[in-house]
Amino acid sequence: MSEFFGPLDSEGRVPPRQQTRVAAFLISAHGALARQFAFALPPKLESAWQTELNAQFYRETEIVSLLLRATSWVPDVALGYMAASWETAWFPAPAEGIPDQPLALTVGLATLAHAVHAGIRPAALLPVDANANDPFVMTLRRIEFESSRLLQTQILFLKGESLVPFRDAVSSALERRHAGVRKLWHEALQSVGISVRDRNDEKP
Amino acid sequence: MPFLTHGSYRIRYELDGPANAPAYVLVNGLTQYAELWTVYRDALVARRFRVATFDLLGQGASDKPALFISQDDQVAALHLLIGELGDGPLFLSGISFGGLIALRYAITHGKRLAGLVPMSCFAELPPQLFLLGNALRTGLILGGNSYLQDLLLPMNVSDQWLRPVLDKLDSVKRQGWLVNDVYALQNLMESFLDFQPLTPQLSAIGVPTMIPNGEFDFLTPRALHETLRVQIPNSSLVIIPRAYHAFTLEKPALTADLLARFAEDVLAGRWQGNKAVWIAPEEAGGDLVPFPAGYDHLRAIPVQGTIP
Repeated sequence: MSEFFGPLDSEGRVPPRQQTRVAAFLISAHGALARQFAFALPPKLESAWQTELNAQFYRETEIVSLLLRATSWVPDVALGYMAASWETAWFPAPAEGIPDQPLALTVGLATLAHAVHAGIRPAALLPVDANANDPFVMTLRRIEFESSRLLQTQILFLKGESLVPFRDAVSSALERRHAGVRKLWHEALQSVGISVRDRNDEKP
Repeated sequence: MPFLTHGSYRIRYELDGPANAPAYVLVNGLTQYAELWTVYRDALVARRFRVATFDLLGQGASDKPALFISQDDQVAALHLLIGELGDGPLFLSGISFGGLIALRYAITHGKRLAGLVPMSCFAELPPQLFLLGNALRTGLILGGNSYLQDLLLPMNVSDQWLRPVLDKLDSVKRQGWLVNDVYALQNLMESFLDFQPLTPQLSAIGVPTMIPNGEFDFLTPRALHETLRVQIPNSSLVIIPRAYHAFTLEKPALTADLLARFAEDVLAGRWQGNKAVWIAPEEAGGDLVPFPAGYDHLRAIPVQGTIP
């Protein structure tokens, strides 16, 4: 196993099987975020902060669109089972310990978005000789770059004044979400021969 | 690869050198990782020191807390590591953010230390450093880890260091880019949001303290080190010639030699801080010379001044 995609072909492209599995995972995660942001987005914006919901929705949609078009897809019989387990994991889940249910659901969505945007670094899987002009390579770089920008909304919200009384609940919900997303991501990578070196995985 | 446990988080560390020897603990700067001390580890072990290196919480192979991480957590992690080193003489050094963590440790656990070496360090956030820190954080947010590296490299090392690597900067930056994550670095940076100056507490540091400062460090310039020199009773300031903020990367042989000599002098009873100002040699093994009497070491031109 390698820590990176490969072996690359003679033109520096990632093997299609790895592209397919990784793109499917990312589409599942970012697609779930797009759906949940779309559901949370009102037809008419009432507050300034809701403009950010609009931005998050369209960025997530862009990521899905990019992956659909940039990936060299191949048949993958394991995807059905894996996608089911991924989709189940993204179900909306209110954060425990927050009695206000709408707020708890919003925190739940923010923790999922934080875990996906912060914890998944697809560009870090690219070996140095990956072809910078390949669309899949560029897509992964773009996803990683956009994710760290999208993440700022989750950071501001989760560290915001309104959640200070629930900091312990937020922190444990966030760590749980990170652990869950990381586990699925690493399993997806290992299933196509990519090893992962991350001590966070080995927490009890 | 051994790990310590702080709450639900793990801290990756490494111990090298003879178990019963005096120990050096080296604390990373903000964007660093433990392997960057390899030259120091080898040089100090060769001089019969035990060397402890580690990744701070949020760095390298240590756990990366998702959001909430304080500088107190980093001090607690350092305390755990020092607990692994027995009761022998212990020297603590850190660079930049790591120097600040070392200062905090020395304030609260100074009795455990035989000596302290805060490098490219600061105890306050005056307007220039505060604004630079904010700008670097914004750079990280908008441009990612790679852009932060682009900002820091020309600021922190010299033309002499940069010129031969200009055409391979991506490979120079790659390991730091791979092992450090945007959110984790942002968490470290945001641990300064509630920062209170350490200056009123510096006088509590009773151990011998050497304060190295690059001649051309403009991220943490001389005035910030001067605060340490003036406030820490048994200290001396050592100016590293032609050096910038990251002189530990650029001049590892010289800096490792200075660390070893400082510890050897302390252990032999030869060290006298006297709040003196010294100029380090250009190369390892050379003599330190006193800053010329009557001149102001805070100026970049030879102005005569009153030195407290």
